[in-house]
Amino acid sequence: MPSATRKDPPMHASSPTAARRLAAAAILLAAAASAYGHHSFNMFDSDKVVSLHGTVQEVQWSNPHVILLVNLDPKPEGKPALWSVECTSPGNLKRIGWTRKSIKAGDRVDVEINPLRDGSAGGAFHKATLLDTGQVFTAELRDAEKAGDGY
Amino acid sequence: MTLPRPVTGAPWRRARAPAVPLLALPFAALLALLTGAPAWGADAVEAERNAAPLARDWADLGLLPDWSGVWYPRISDQFAQERANRPPWKPAAAAQIAALEKAEEAGKPKGLFVNCLPEGMPSWMLISHNALEILFTPGRVTMLGESDGNRLRRIYTDGRGHPDDPDPSFHGHSIGHWEGQTLVVDTVGVAPEVYLAVSEAVGLPNNGDLHVVERLHLAGPDTLDDELEITAPQILSRPWKTTRIYQRQRARRFDIVEGVCRQGDFRSVRDAQGNAIYVPAHLTSDGNVLPP
Repeated sequence: MPSATRKDPPMHASSPTAARRLAAAAILLAAAASAYGHHSFNMFDSDKVVSLHGTVQEVQWSNPHVILLVNLDPKPEGKPALWSVECTSPGNLKRIGWTRKSIKAGDRVDVEINPLRDGSAGGAFHKATLLDTGQVFTAELRDAEKAGDGY
Repeated sequence: MTLPRPVTGAPWRRARAPAVPLLALPFAALLALLTGAPAWGADAVEAERNAAPLARDWADLGLLPDWSGVWYPRISDQFAQERANRPPWKPAAAAQIAALEKAEEAGKPKGLFVNCLPEGMPSWMLISHNALEILFTPGRVTMLGESDGNRLRRIYTDGRGHPDDPDPSFHGHSIGHWEGQTLVVDTVGVAPEVYLAVSEAVGLPNNGDLHVVERLHLAGPDTLDDELEITAPQILSRPWKTTRIYQRQRARRFDIVEGVCRQGDFRSVRDAQGNAIYVPAHLTSDGNVLPP
């Protein structure tokens, strides 16, 4: 397993302080249920967290759900190596600080997912860590609520 | 922080001067009886036209409350409402709803909206996890949603009524008027297939005769309440009152972005000639995307 270099990098457009805050929020909110649109996410097992360690092969920055394709490293024996990870929509990800280049093809990642209950190679995004920088991304929509002017 | 400005009347309810002199009406009515055609036909056609707004009409928009910005649903309250204020389903509907809830709890949720048809009215207002914006123009309030390019409500505030027999549509036919700083919206003509949904996995087609009355008003400087009264006689035993809360966002990262639902049915790839093209994604019947 490649070793992760933990740094404290600037988060895209935000300040290093904001990056630290977001990383801290990620840890605090790791156990919170995620809210998505378009379809219910109950086909994913929210009681289970599976960690996908590998390289991002493709990012589909599209509605209704942003999709990350992750190639596992090392390749598991007798199981699929390529996994599909469903996030919320591009608009909602932007509201909680993502850009379409936050996670890119070629990035080495550790992605925590709630897996599909039927055992297919897919899951709902929970948290991602970029292994080369230590940046952490979450996708908890209720963070967007709290970020609003109305709170 | 800007507080709502006072509204002095309802500018879009101003009646225009009748085109037919009142004394002529009895004569015109008699002529209509005799000929079977309205004697004031040209004026009737004129009444069906949308008058060009005057400078005063544009200026009057400044009297309305400030609903600018992006409105983001308070999702935590949606979930709380889902549990605390359930629709009064009729017995047959309640049995179907119980089955849908059971399926969702069992991890097999029915994807009510995975076909990418609009959520429509009133589900859009009830369960959306996406932002909306509200535009005022003379005689009209327009709501623009985000995910799904066709999430759009046109609310006529020019004093017109509903058509006698509106063509069924996802968002229905909406007319509105201002009562002080509250926009009262009346919606009919929603297609029977459109869901009354309490979540993405639990809801039923309204099955016809849906009527929604909404009272939209600022409940705080950056909080918009939509108080809905939903009458759905085919599936509800009585009208259902519920409120949804939207928070105003002014940060530009909250600006609405284009959202085309069907884009998710495809992957963007390069073909053999190097063209950027869409190819079908590997989708399950539940709307989940699997690796290609």
